[in-house]
Amino acid sequence: MATDEDLIGAVATGDGRALEELCRRYERPLHRFIFRHTGGRDVDDLYQETWLRVVRAARRFDPRRRFSTWLFQIAVNLCRDWHRRPPPEPVDPAGIEATREGAAAAADAALDARRLLAALPEPQRSVVILRYYHDLGEEEMAEILGCPRGTVKSRLHHAMARLGEMARQ
Amino acid sequence: MTECDEILATLFLGGVLDADAAAHLSACPRCATEQVHVRRVAELLASHDVPPPASTLSARVLGAAAPLLARHARRAAWRMLARALAAALVPLPLILVLDFYLVRAAYGVLDAVLPRALSLYVVFNYAATLTLLLALTYGMIPIVAERQMRLRREESRA
Repeated sequence: MATDEDLIGAVATGDGRALEELCRRYERPLHRFIFRHTGGRDVDDLYQETWLRVVRAARRFDPRRRFSTWLFQIAVNLCRDWHRRPPPEPVDPAGIEATREGAAAAADAALDARRLLAALPEPQRSVVILRYYHDLGEEEMAEILGCPRGTVKSRLHHAMARLGEMARQ
Repeated sequence: MTECDEILATLFLGGVLDADAAAHLSACPRCATEQVHVRRVAELLASHDVPPPASTLSARVLGAAAPLLARHARRAAWRMLARALAAALVPLPLILVLDFYLVRAAYGVLDAVLPRALSLYVVFNYAATLTLLLALTYGMIPIVAERQMRLRREESRA
């Protein structure tokens, strides 16, 4: 079976099937990562933009690196840009209330988790998502986030402290 | 990070504590208080279900990427062709010089045994055949290069 690195090499020569295979391999993890990062907003657009950037930059991919690290690096950068954008136009509060009332208990739990993640500053949120949900090591997270290992460690520590604080309330 | 932080981080990430860490956890008042919150946070985060992506999402991505892929394919084909032509042109001067001497030698031999007009006719035909073969060989380069690229693609896919 072709490795991810072989496939991205093939994408650089215009191979559509190689891209299809890569999309199939990373569809779930990438989609989940973006969903958790943005709280479920603009997920499909960011997902698509991530892959378009991958295709655009496929020729510049360094085959000595891991494809997954590179892919998540692109996704993290896009999510960062997304968080910097101005917030969307205010919506009708009546609509929000109606939605809230209709939500089920399971959805409430998910919302709590979503609120917890949303309360974290973007750098800490990235670390928590990559570590907790994607089980990545400090080395790989540091590469994805473009910061030293020590920073990853301290961000995780601060995120935990903040989350613990929120759980106490 | 302190020992307490390390232990709480392990708990948060669902790791298993060793005997020393477990002993610390039961003895340390800070860890005893914090672990309840850490476990609560971990439970909450674990309950964060994400709906699966729409079934049309991959098709949408592939559709949007199609023009970019086509551009990559065109560039790759041109690069491959340029490399193949460059490699083929390197021995061309040598081939031409060799052919020239071969034709001249053939003419010299034929001229000694045949009338001049007939020798010229035979040598001209020979030279024309050589030229035709050379043109065909170089003309085949783009076709062979394209085929080789297709084969490489299939190999990498397998």
